[in-house]
Amino acid sequence: MILVIAEQRGGVLNPATWETLAAGQRMDAPVAVAVVGAAVQGPAAELAAADVAEVLAVEHDALEPYTPDGFVAALAQVVERTEPELVLFPHTYQTRDYAPALAARLGRVLIPDCIGSKVRDGQRVFVRPMFQGKFVADVLPEGPAPHLASFQIGAYRADACVRGAASATVRDVAVRLDAGAIRQRPEAPFKEAKQAVDLTQAERIVAVGRGIKGQEHLPLAQDLAKALDAELAASRPICDSGWLPMDRQIGSSGQTVAPKLYLAVGISGAIQHLVGMKGARTIVAVNKDADAPIFEVADYGIVGDLFEIVPAIVAALEAEAGG
Amino acid sequence: MERETLDVDVLVVGGGPAGLAAAYRLARLNEEQGGEPLMVAVLEKARAAGAHMLSGAVLDPSALTELMPDWRSRGASLDVPVRDDRIYFLTARRALPFPVTPPPLRNHGHYVVSLNRLAKWLTEQVEAAGVDVFTGFAGTELLYEEDRVVGVRTGDRGLDRHGKRKAAFEPGVDIRAKVTVLADGVRGNLTKTLIRRFDLDAGRSPQSYAIGIKELWDVDPDRLPAGSVIHTMGHPLRHEEFGGGFIYALPEGRLSVGFVAGLDYRDPLFDPHVAFQRFKRHPLVSRLLAGGQMVRYGAKALPEGGWHALPRCHADGALIVGDAAGFLNSMRLKGIHLAMRSGMHAADVAFRAVREGDVSGARLSEYARLVEDGPIRRELYPVRNVHQSFAGGLLAGLLYSGMSLVTRGWWFRDPMPSHAGHERLRTLKRYFGGGAPPEPPAVPIDRALTFDRLTNVHYSGTRHDEDQPSHLLVADTDICRTRCIEEYANPCTRFCPANVYEIVDADAGAGKRLQVNASNCVHCKTCDIMDPYQIIDWVPPEGGGGPSYEGM
Repeated sequence: MILVIAEQRGGVLNPATWETLAAGQRMDAPVAVAVVGAAVQGPAAELAAADVAEVLAVEHDALEPYTPDGFVAALAQVVERTEPELVLFPHTYQTRDYAPALAARLGRVLIPDCIGSKVRDGQRVFVRPMFQGKFVADVLPEGPAPHLASFQIGAYRADACVRGAASATVRDVAVRLDAGAIRQRPEAPFKEAKQAVDLTQAERIVAVGRGIKGQEHLPLAQDLAKALDAELAASRPICDSGWLPMDRQIGSSGQTVAPKLYLAVGISGAIQHLVGMKGARTIVAVNKDADAPIFEVADYGIVGDLFEIVPAIVAALEAEAGG
Repeated sequence: MERETLDVDVLVVGGGPAGLAAAYRLARLNEEQGGEPLMVAVLEKARAAGAHMLSGAVLDPSALTELMPDWRSRGASLDVPVRDDRIYFLTARRALPFPVTPPPLRNHGHYVVSLNRLAKWLTEQVEAAGVDVFTGFAGTELLYEEDRVVGVRTGDRGLDRHGKRKAAFEPGVDIRAKVTVLADGVRGNLTKTLIRRFDLDAGRSPQSYAIGIKELWDVDPDRLPAGSVIHTMGHPLRHEEFGGGFIYALPEGRLSVGFVAGLDYRDPLFDPHVAFQRFKRHPLVSRLLAGGQMVRYGAKALPEGGWHALPRCHADGALIVGDAAGFLNSMRLKGIHLAMRSGMHAADVAFRAVREGDVSGARLSEYARLVEDGPIRRELYPVRNVHQSFAGGLLAGLLYSGMSLVTRGWWFRDPMPSHAGHERLRTLKRYFGGGAPPEPPAVPIDRALTFDRLTNVHYSGTRHDEDQPSHLLVADTDICRTRCIEEYANPCTRFCPANVYEIVDADAGAGKRLQVNASNCVHCKTCDIMDPYQIIDWVPPEGGGGPSYEGM
């Protein structure tokens, strides 16, 4: 059995959970998913929609708020009781925080930050990047099962998680926790001043660059974003000029995104920008300079004046939506 | 505002070869002399030791050997001994080898090194010797008691771009010291204020500078044997421009390829970054780089003024060492050994002064005597007019330099008259005689051999928190869009090797304005030096920001 550890906060599932479920479902073994917290019936019911053998609801008052000690103690009991062959996690900040301690508690190996998994010579190996992505290594876990592994966000697609024909059973798993043995006392979560948008979660992004010329032309890009139901983002010069807030900046000094569609408007594609978006599944670029480096990464390129092309795209999209 | 304070005996500002040599020497003196040890600390603005270090570099190991005779067994990263020295005069297509390598450029017994790695290793030695090295902290102002320097204030952290405090605001720390050793590098921001406050350069020749731009390349290891040293003169520079190229071969097919251009050029349209690209396109160089990969980029200014341009290097409570003072031999193209040597002298003097309880300028002037009576003057005095002689052009410079080997530097007027480099820059009108300036030489950017600035900056590993006040203070940006644009066509957009300065359309089509991309800055200081109106002030960004010169 493969045990996937879901991540939830305040009853809301982290979407990366579905990606890890998709990873587990490809491994030819029954998959169970455990969700941990003080009140997890909501997310457990949600997870029951997936094609899994069962959903384990691990509830205890001492599991809220999250502490590494609490999670390690609870999950160690769950693993000992269910005896899975593999335990899989989404590679989130929370996983990074407690999974190594859990592996140490269990005396088992943890292979973090994987991007895939396959069977080689009859043995399951985990694929993980090394040297900042210059190499990928096949890692063969050593020692007795269960082996622990975490998967990078975006390594699998959430929509690749197979839904079940019927709802899976939700089973409550009681754990014994000594609240006094939890050494951490979490304070209120730290929030960086208003992070209004999380571009990393956006499926479609329209990004504007210097080609837009002036702030007064931004509505053009906003219209396109609206027509595509996309988030609006920008390259550095735009945010630097204060035309868009800094949390919408893509690139080495902004956010790194991997949406399904990335539409770059008037962006030349300096390497600083490319590193922030080259993971997008489909890249469309509009630029008047045919030699602009953005066309080296674009799947579709339109050489021309964005002030003509963008309104034409918007009109076409609206016509389609209307018709 | 409450600030933390820290008291030390000697504070070294800057973790380069000069500062680290000073710190190491102080640690050894503590050990050798016994008694209550002096407390020594080093401040370094880079996030990691050595990350802001960039040099060619060919190292003359004499000072290191004196500082640390057992450097070899301590695993010093002196990569490879120089095996072969060549010098070429380049024309647009050809490379004419000099029949003999002039003595100052002979590098027998020297080593091709990465200054980044050397500084990293030296930092480890210094820390192992019991000195605290605080990386990620820049000294932003000198602390004074009346006219005595009593330490340094480090920069505040966590200010947003408007100077308002963010959630994670942390005020800077006051580090108080009996002696502050300023090793803040070429055109150091603290040294600059100290020189100004006490007129330490009164009666001295103006300092002159050059900019060095460098890339690391990985090529086929058979291309050039490790330890090969190549210097070039001529193309793409014209007779009137000072500078040249270098190629140093490190082990395993790694080449250090760079270009130095004097920051005293006249042509307002001259562009050092373009000159570097043209140098790489010369057959001598492009043959070596073909099929290889550029892996790192960086730039740094160099003090070229020599002996006559050294300021007074001592004040009450303070000493200036290394590039901050200008200890560089422009004839031998070397400064690391002199930087270390000056750091060692400063350490000796600071140690004795603190022990005796007298850190006045008069007591610290012993440093000037050590410089005068020791190997630094022996090396720098005979070549005191070399850089200045190139003001008359390449031929005059070469003739004088050759002659100086015999005359020991004598000239009819000594010091040879000179000007600050930025004063030599001519207006478009004056340089081009009122006619339309010619199109600058076109350099195709193929992103294989040649690169645009922005791509290059990416390879410098430069990072700054975007949401912080600009650390490039331009006193009056109106000058940029009114006067400078007409008079010089905004030379900052050309002499900055990191695309920090851009002239863009002003909002609502109202002419042009200066855009400062401060987070691109590689801390080379060229803008502070070369701006013709002298209205750019380079101050340290939030500690830890800047390039990451791994292997440079």
